[in-house]
Amino acid sequence: MFKIVRGRLNIWQVIGSILFMIVQVIASLYLPNITSDIVNNGIAKGQTSYIISAGMKMIFVSVLTVLASVGNVFLASQASQGLGQKLRSDLFRKVLYFSHDEFDAFDTSSLTTRTTNDVMQIQNVIVMMLRMMIMAPIMLIGASFMAYQKNGPMTKIFLIVIPALIIVVGGVMYFAVPLFKAMQKKTDRLNLIFREGLTGVRVIRAFRQDTFEQNRFKNANDDYTNNAIKVYTIVAMMVPFVTLIMSGTNIGITWLGAHYIANQTMQVGNLIAFMTYAMQILMSFMILSLIFVLIPRASASAARIQEVFAKESQIDTVAKPAKVKEEASLEFDDVNFRYLGAEKLALTNINFKMEKGQTLAIIGGTGSGKTTLINLIPRFYDSETGVVMINGTDVKALNTEDINRQVSMVPQKAVLFKGTIRSNMLYGKDDATDDEIWHALEIAQADGFVKDLEKQLDAPVEQGGDNFSGGQKQRLAIARALVKDASIYVFDDSFSALDFKTDLNLRTALKADEKINNSVVVIVGQRISTVADADEILVIDDGDMVGLGTHEELKENNKTYQEIIESQIREGNNG
Amino acid sequence: MAKDKETTSSNPVGPKGPHGGGAGPKPEKAKHFWKTIRRLASYMSAYIWGIIIVLILAILSSIFQVMTPKVLGEATTEIYKGFMNGVAQQKAGIQVDQFPIDFSKIKQIIFIVFLMYMASALFSFIQQFVMTRVSQRTVYKLRRDLKSKMRRLPISYYDQHSNGDIMSRAINDMDNIAGTLQQSITQVVTSTVTFVGVLWMMFTISWQLTLIALATIPLSLIVVGLVAPSSQKFFARQQKSLGLLNNQVEENYAGHVVVKSFNHEKDAIAQFDAENETLYKASWKAQMISGIIMPLMTLINNLGYVLIAMFGGIQVANGGIALGNIQAFLQYMNQFSQPITQLANLANTIQATVASAERIFEVIDEPEMNDDPVDVSDIQTDDKVILDHMDFGYDGKPLLMQDYNLNVKPGEMIAIVGPTGAGKTTVINLLERFYDVKGGSIKLDGRDIRNMSRDDVRSHYAMVLQDTWLFTGTIYDNLKYSNQDASHDEIIAAAKAAHVDSFVRQLPDGYDTVLNEEASNISQGQRQLITIARAFVADPEILILDEATSSVDTRTEVHIQHAMQRLLKNRTSFVVAHRLSTIRDADKIIVMNEGSIVETGNHDELMAKNGFYADLYNSQFAGNVVM
Repeated sequence: MFKIVRGRLNIWQVIGSILFMIVQVIASLYLPNITSDIVNNGIAKGQTSYIISAGMKMIFVSVLTVLASVGNVFLASQASQGLGQKLRSDLFRKVLYFSHDEFDAFDTSSLTTRTTNDVMQIQNVIVMMLRMMIMAPIMLIGASFMAYQKNGPMTKIFLIVIPALIIVVGGVMYFAVPLFKAMQKKTDRLNLIFREGLTGVRVIRAFRQDTFEQNRFKNANDDYTNNAIKVYTIVAMMVPFVTLIMSGTNIGITWLGAHYIANQTMQVGNLIAFMTYAMQILMSFMILSLIFVLIPRASASAARIQEVFAKESQIDTVAKPAKVKEEASLEFDDVNFRYLGAEKLALTNINFKMEKGQTLAIIGGTGSGKTTLINLIPRFYDSETGVVMINGTDVKALNTEDINRQVSMVPQKAVLFKGTIRSNMLYGKDDATDDEIWHALEIAQADGFVKDLEKQLDAPVEQGGDNFSGGQKQRLAIARALVKDASIYVFDDSFSALDFKTDLNLRTALKADEKINNSVVVIVGQRISTVADADEILVIDDGDMVGLGTHEELKENNKTYQEIIESQIREGNNG
Repeated sequence: MAKDKETTSSNPVGPKGPHGGGAGPKPEKAKHFWKTIRRLASYMSAYIWGIIIVLILAILSSIFQVMTPKVLGEATTEIYKGFMNGVAQQKAGIQVDQFPIDFSKIKQIIFIVFLMYMASALFSFIQQFVMTRVSQRTVYKLRRDLKSKMRRLPISYYDQHSNGDIMSRAINDMDNIAGTLQQSITQVVTSTVTFVGVLWMMFTISWQLTLIALATIPLSLIVVGLVAPSSQKFFARQQKSLGLLNNQVEENYAGHVVVKSFNHEKDAIAQFDAENETLYKASWKAQMISGIIMPLMTLINNLGYVLIAMFGGIQVANGGIALGNIQAFLQYMNQFSQPITQLANLANTIQATVASAERIFEVIDEPEMNDDPVDVSDIQTDDKVILDHMDFGYDGKPLLMQDYNLNVKPGEMIAIVGPTGAGKTTVINLLERFYDVKGGSIKLDGRDIRNMSRDDVRSHYAMVLQDTWLFTGTIYDNLKYSNQDASHDEIIAAAKAAHVDSFVRQLPDGYDTVLNEEASNISQGQRQLITIARAFVADPEILILDEATSSVDTRTEVHIQHAMQRLLKNRTSFVVAHRLSTIRDADKIIVMNEGSIVETGNHDELMAKNGFYADLYNSQFAGNVVM
């Protein structure tokens, strides 16, 4: 916890807010003192002028308390929210500059939670600490001291009251916390079943399992409700018990106080002051017990955040990066690759060389290593042995920014960003003209539906591109990559979401384009028809390059390729 | 969601419900406040006696809570009286070791106070005990009704509303209601009773002092009325900014590959920093303003306190009022402002809750599927399925199919082909009676399917879709899903026929393996095989099959095809086809484009026609490669 806070929390604001709080505590501890003076010296002695002057003092102290607490709140909220801002910003930077190895160690949703919710948790705990938790011990000590001063012997009442309070609060937490945890699971299950009812509505109805679903939901609902009733019943005991203990304390003080007053060892006014101090002591205890709930939760968040900060980049930065050459080419020279910590090589002996204007297609089953292979091109990962060269230079001699300028990628899963079609298209080239964008959209077979949109290029794109269908998103992602000027264009299985006709039109348009003709194209595909007209087809099976050649060559002599053809076109269909 | 896109691809913005798919802040205000309250109350009517008891107890416990300071104050007064007597005696020169305090009377008072405290604690526990049950059971019923409503809603409702929107009603809105029922009803009562009671007690002590106390109310109201709304404004701003920031984070993390490969880190960070700064500004102000409400209220309270102490002190000194009463009055001052703030907060909570309830009732009131039989008489026929002069279009949209005719003989295979987004699922929607035709008739064994129950229609079909929906449960239960009466042997036989048995046996838990929602424990291809096995278990007369295009490895691909072949054997089938072989083997081909059926016939007929199908066929297979 301290690790992630250090250097990010404005220390002056913290010190300031604590100072203000000390003023606030002292002032509020002093108040009952004045009250008792009013009773002892004013009321009991019938001195009206004393009452008025003490009253003025009281108002002054009250105002001081408020000013101090406003000062405390002002600094505490800036300090805590500032910490949150700094944490979020550092996390976001760290994650964005993660290479693939580091990113793979977490998943997207977990990283998102760490950047948002976990930071929130920390922020909330800090504000609680600065405003209440630090106050509790000070208040506790101060009030105990004052109470002792008012009447020493009577403080023994706390020997009974405080343990009682601890037992009640501790007992409730002991029983309630596991139930609360169970409740989270039961809530998740309830939500899961309801959501499955939505996502699977067609299947459920087609198989006439509505009743089954209703029962499944009923069981989860029963389970959840029974647990919730149990939890809240236990929690319901806490408030009455605590109130009872506090009220009991008041009664005890009155009874004992009466005796001390009768013995003339205590003044009447001190009785009222003592009661106020007693309440302050008990309240401090309640606040302290909150720490035991909040701190573990916050330190879990802190640990998750620290885990992200602790991750070191695996890709070495290049001290003196080489210049990238103009002429497009792509070469893999005896490349082997293994994932971090993996026993087995993920890629073995990959060899090929493509010149400008050529297309390389990569085909193979799921998990055979197609995506792994193309991830080496923009140096998402580094090869173990062998050399990956773009435009004739080893990628390890280039810095990633330059590599990314030369390589334009369309990942398997189309990702669009919130904004407009235009803002997405400009992603790869800030200064692209409308003509360039339309041209790219035409190649990507996306011009048709974009033209149908009311605002065309300025049509809004929702988060994740959710307002477009899968095929539309894919085509927009392709267009975005085409707007960018690069030497190498990589399409990772980007065409399988398209129907055959669109796929064909797209590839035909791609071939006819001048810019593309001056670069190397890499297409990862599933369908024979997608890869068949490439200059070279690389067949990959379980990480091994098992074939490289044209469609005709491979069809003749490559067993894996023949199997793939076989699986896609059954016997008896000779076209 | 994605699976429904096909049916609506002519509209790129996709289907959105009246609430914009749940995006953006929800309206906080309820439209029919009292009507919704009454309706919510009717859900609680079974617990009416419980609620009445709770209300009575709430009133009693607040009365006790209010009375105790006054009664305990009497003890102080007794002490003070004894003390003054003692002092007087001392002044008179009498030696006193012990002030003459009436301990028996104090004991009596303390005993009464103790009983009141006990009763108050017990009552407040009973209240919570009962209200926990009332609120949980009420929400239980609401949840149950919502869920059972979901089975009566037509598929069109699902297609038009985003899952996120429905889920947010089923979860967030339900939680809201549960929380409010549990806390707020009793709080309204106790706050009101406490406020009135405290006021009353104060009056009985001294009307002059009470007027002074009342003078602080306007100040409290100003704080509650001015500061609270501005803090709400900042909180709303914070929430909005937080939402935007979360979206940015999610988007950039999800698109990490793209951000990096387009060298876009700096732009993303700049955007993030701007929003982060906005969030910081809004959130510290929200914290700050909400943080000063308490001190301000305390200040006002203290001001009143001092005034009471001053005036009260003077009165006590003059003998006009007992010291214990002042002590009690001062305690009342502390209790006095609480109900005001509480009631102000409650008003907001209740508003929000009623709005939540309204959103749930809105779903419950949606029109349901109707089962009115139509005036189409049964006919004698050998055909399994007949589409007879059928018209269809989605609600509010132009007709997609007009006067369409098709006769399907038992055992025939009908292929449905067309480019992406051609509306191939529309045919499935109609056959399974997810949607009803707009005109003409669909007949199954000569009978209009609208004259059969939906369950009856669907009992003739089994469906294998690309969307491999399986529920969170064991593989065995998922196989059994299509026919709960299937025997163990039948299920294993089906699993074997669909190449499921072999890989399931390799799993550590075999058939008892629990499939999770993300399906991280088995591959996509294996899921597809399970859905095929599930259809085997159903052993239907008619099969609806959506051929997979999703990426699976070659071996699984062979298995899937093989399993599908076996499943199709000797059954009437409708296949959304992507595979040349399937299409060529089909007895009839329905060719679709842009939602409509453009051609129907077998392969040779359609090729001879040289129309849309021929074009599609050539682009797919003949165009560039000779296989």
